[in-house]
Amino acid sequence: MAGSLRLQRLPSASPGIVLAARAAAIVMALVFAGIILAMTGANPIELASEVVDASFGSSFGMEDLGVLIIPLILTGLSVAVAQQIGAWNIGAEGQFYAGAFAAAAVGLFVPGPPALILALMFVAGLVGGAVWILVPTLARAYGNVNELITTLLLNFVAILLVYFVATNAWRDKMANSATPRLSAEIPEFWGSIHWGLPIAILAALLVTGLLAFSRWGYEVRLVGSNPSAANYAGVPVRRHLITVMLLSGAIAGLAGMLEIAGTVHRLQGGISNNYGYLGIMVAVLARSSAVGVIFSAALMAFILNSGIILQTQGLTTSTVLAITGLILFLTAIGDELAHYRIARDKA
Amino acid sequence: MPGEIHALLGENGAGKSTLMNILTGIYQPDAGEIIIDGYAKEFSTPLQAIASGIGMVHQHFKLVQAFTVAENIHLGWSQTPRRASAQVLEQRTAALAEKFNLKTHPGARVSDLSTGEQQRVEILRVLARQARVLILDEPTAVLTPTEARELFKALRQFVAAGNAVIFISHKLDEVLEISDRISILRGGRKVATENTAECNPRMLAKLMVGRDIVPADMRRRPADAAPMSTDPVLSLENVSAIGDAGNETLHGISLDVRAGEIVGVAGVAGNGQRELSEVLTGIRPVSAGKILIAGKPVGKSNAAAFAESGIGHIPEDRLHSGLAPALSITVNAVMREYKKPPVSSGIGYKPGAATALAKEIASAAEVSIPDFAMPIRNLSGGNQQRLVARREMRIADKVLIAAYPSRGLDVGAINTMLRYLVELRDAGAGIILISEELDELLNLSDRIAVLFEGKIMGIIDNDKTDIDEIGLLMGGRTQVREVA
Repeated sequence: MAGSLRLQRLPSASPGIVLAARAAAIVMALVFAGIILAMTGANPIELASEVVDASFGSSFGMEDLGVLIIPLILTGLSVAVAQQIGAWNIGAEGQFYAGAFAAAAVGLFVPGPPALILALMFVAGLVGGAVWILVPTLARAYGNVNELITTLLLNFVAILLVYFVATNAWRDKMANSATPRLSAEIPEFWGSIHWGLPIAILAALLVTGLLAFSRWGYEVRLVGSNPSAANYAGVPVRRHLITVMLLSGAIAGLAGMLEIAGTVHRLQGGISNNYGYLGIMVAVLARSSAVGVIFSAALMAFILNSGIILQTQGLTTSTVLAITGLILFLTAIGDELAHYRIARDKA
Repeated sequence: MPGEIHALLGENGAGKSTLMNILTGIYQPDAGEIIIDGYAKEFSTPLQAIASGIGMVHQHFKLVQAFTVAENIHLGWSQTPRRASAQVLEQRTAALAEKFNLKTHPGARVSDLSTGEQQRVEILRVLARQARVLILDEPTAVLTPTEARELFKALRQFVAAGNAVIFISHKLDEVLEISDRISILRGGRKVATENTAECNPRMLAKLMVGRDIVPADMRRRPADAAPMSTDPVLSLENVSAIGDAGNETLHGISLDVRAGEIVGVAGVAGNGQRELSEVLTGIRPVSAGKILIAGKPVGKSNAAAFAESGIGHIPEDRLHSGLAPALSITVNAVMREYKKPPVSSGIGYKPGAATALAKEIASAAEVSIPDFAMPIRNLSGGNQQRLVARREMRIADKVLIAAYPSRGLDVGAINTMLRYLVELRDAGAGIILISEELDELLNLSDRIAVLFEGKIMGIIDNDKTDIDEIGLLMGGRTQVREVA
C-alpha cells in the first residue's frame, strides 16, 4: 500500500527553508497587493515599475532609502537586542523620542565646537534612551512586571513631552511647532545620506559580534533561552536582564539622536515616523538576529519608500499600511509552515 | 463500599493517579468496567462521572483564585440559579456549608484563604454536586497537622452518612489512622487489599516497595578504585531552606559525603528533594545552618562558585533547568566550562573551541551527533541526559549531585547512567544520589538517607538495612523497632 500523506511537524526548521518561506511570503503579499490595486482600478504592473524606477532608478530614490534605513536598523536592533534576553521592548518609539529630546537639549543649549557638541549629543541620545527604559527594566527585574505594557505606555509620555517642548519652551520664534535648527549636524557623505548609516550598520555588526564571540554574549543567549538553566549555570540572570534592556533603550535613543542631528536638524513632534513601532516588525522579520536587522530594515525602508511613491500616485496611506501588514502576516504564516513537511505514512 | 474509607497506597508511578483518572472519566479504560451500585458504567467525560456521584479533590486545587468561595462553589454547576446576585450565592453556599458541616467564609476570596480552607472549599464543591464517592489525592500533603485532623473529622462524618471515600496517600501512619480498608498498588497492579485492623506499618511498607532486590554488585569496587576518604568533602550542618512558596521546606538537614562514597537519598518525591539538591549546588540559599566544602564553610550560596569548587549537578528536570532546549548542542555542552580556556580567552568566547569541547563531551558520552549547531531538544531524552552527565562529571572533582538521573530513561540508558556514577566514585568523587528507585539506591549507595517532609528521618548503612526499614522511614515512621 502506498500509505497516506500527512503533515509532520518538525521541532526546528532549517534556515534555508525559513528563508525560502520568507521570500514566498513577500512575493505572495505583493501579488495580493497587486490584485487589490487592480480592483481599485489602478494598473499594478505600471505602478510597480514606477516604484522600482523611483527607488533604484535615480540617486534621489536611493538617498531616500538610505535616510529611512538608518533609524530602522537601530530601532530594529533595539527590539532584537531585548529579544535576546527574552524581553519585548515595545517602547523603542518612546526611547527614540527620549534620545532625540536629550540630544536636542545638548544641541540647543550647550555652546562649543560642533565636533564636541556632536559627541555630547551622541552620548545624550544613548543616555536618554536608556533612562526611558530604566523604570520598566527595574520593574521587570525586581517586580516581574511585564515590560510589554510598561514600555508601551511610556511611548505616549515621551511623544507628548516632545510635542510640549517643541511647541512651548523650546519653540522657534519663526516656526510654531519646532525648535530652532540645532547648532551641530552630522555631515552627509552621499547626497542626503549622512554618517549615521555607517554608524547604524556598525552598531548592528558590533552587537552581532558581541553576542557570538564574547562570554557576555554567551551568557545573554543562555538567559534569554532558559533563565532557570542560566541560574543553574551560575549566570547572574538579573544583572544581564538589566544591562541588556538598558542597551536596548540606548540603541533606540541613538536612533532618535541620529535622526535629529543628521536628517531633521530640529526637534519637533512626530519626528519618529513610527520608526519605533516599525522596529518591532524589522526585528521580527530578522528573527531577532542582530545582523539580519540590516537586511530587514532595508526591506522595510523599501516598503515605506514605495508607500510614499504610491501616495504621489494617488493611493491612500491605508492601502500602503495594508500591504505592510500583509507582508508581516504572511511571513508569520511562512515561518510556521517552514516547520512542517509532508511525510508518507508507512502503513 | 458505603460507609467506608478505603485507602490507596503506593509509590510514585504505582498507578494511583491513572486509576483515579479512569474513575473520574479523564482517561478511558482499555479493558474492564466500573461498577457503581451494581451497574456497569462507562464515563467518557468527567461530567458523566460527576453525574454518577463520583467527586475528586485533586492534590493541586482547581479553584479560581480571584473568585470568592461562593462563586467557586457555583462555577459550572447546573443548579446555579440563572440570575443570581453575590448575596444569593453566598446564602446558598452558607446553607451548603451548614449541611455538610464544613466551615467556610462564602464571601472571602479564595486567594486569601489558607491551603486548608481552600481544600475545604474544594471538598464542599464536590459534595454540593451530590458526590457519594469522594476521592482525595494526597490530601494531607499540603495541610498542617491541625488542618489534617479537621479534614479527618469531616471525612468520618461524610462516611457516617453512608457515603464512601477513596483516600490516596503514601503516608503509612495516616492511612492506618483514617481508613477502614487498604489497597496497595505496585507497578500498575493491585497487590493486596486488607482490612486496616489487620495491618501494621512494616507489612504495608513491604507490600508497597516489596520486591526482590538484585544483590548489590555495583557497590563492589575494583582494586584500583580510589579509597573512601575519612573526612567529608561536602557537609551540610543543620541546614534549613525556604521553598518557592515561601515556607520552610528543609528543616535542619545534616548530611555529609566522603570522597569515593555514594550517599543515596531516598524518599517519596516532593519531600524536599528539589530544595536539597539546589542547596547542595548553591542555587538556593540556606536560611539556617552551614555548608562545608572540603571542611571549609561556604559564604553566600553562589551556583558558579560551587561549580568552580568541583561540585557537579545533574538536575532533576534536565530540560527545564539543566539545558536551554532551543539553543545548540555546543552552547549546552560548554555551559560549565565556557569561562575557562580554551573556550574563552579574556572576555572573548570562541565558538570553534566550544564546538571542539562539545565534540569531546559527546564522544565521552558515546552520543553520535551529526550537527552540533542543532538545537539540543532534537536529541532523545537519553542522549540529553548522557551529555548532561558527562558535562557535569568533567567538573565534579569533589562531588556530583545526581537528582533522579534515571528518570524518564529506558533500561539501557539507566544502566549507562549508573555506570557513570560508579566510574566517578572509583575516580574518587563523592556522589549524592537522589532517587525514588529503591533498587537503584540499594545497588549503588554506601549509605542511604531518607527524606520525609523536609527532614532526614535517618541515615542508614546499606549493609545493615533492609528495604522494609527504608519503606517505613519513607512513610514517616522513625521508631522502627516499636512496630508490632
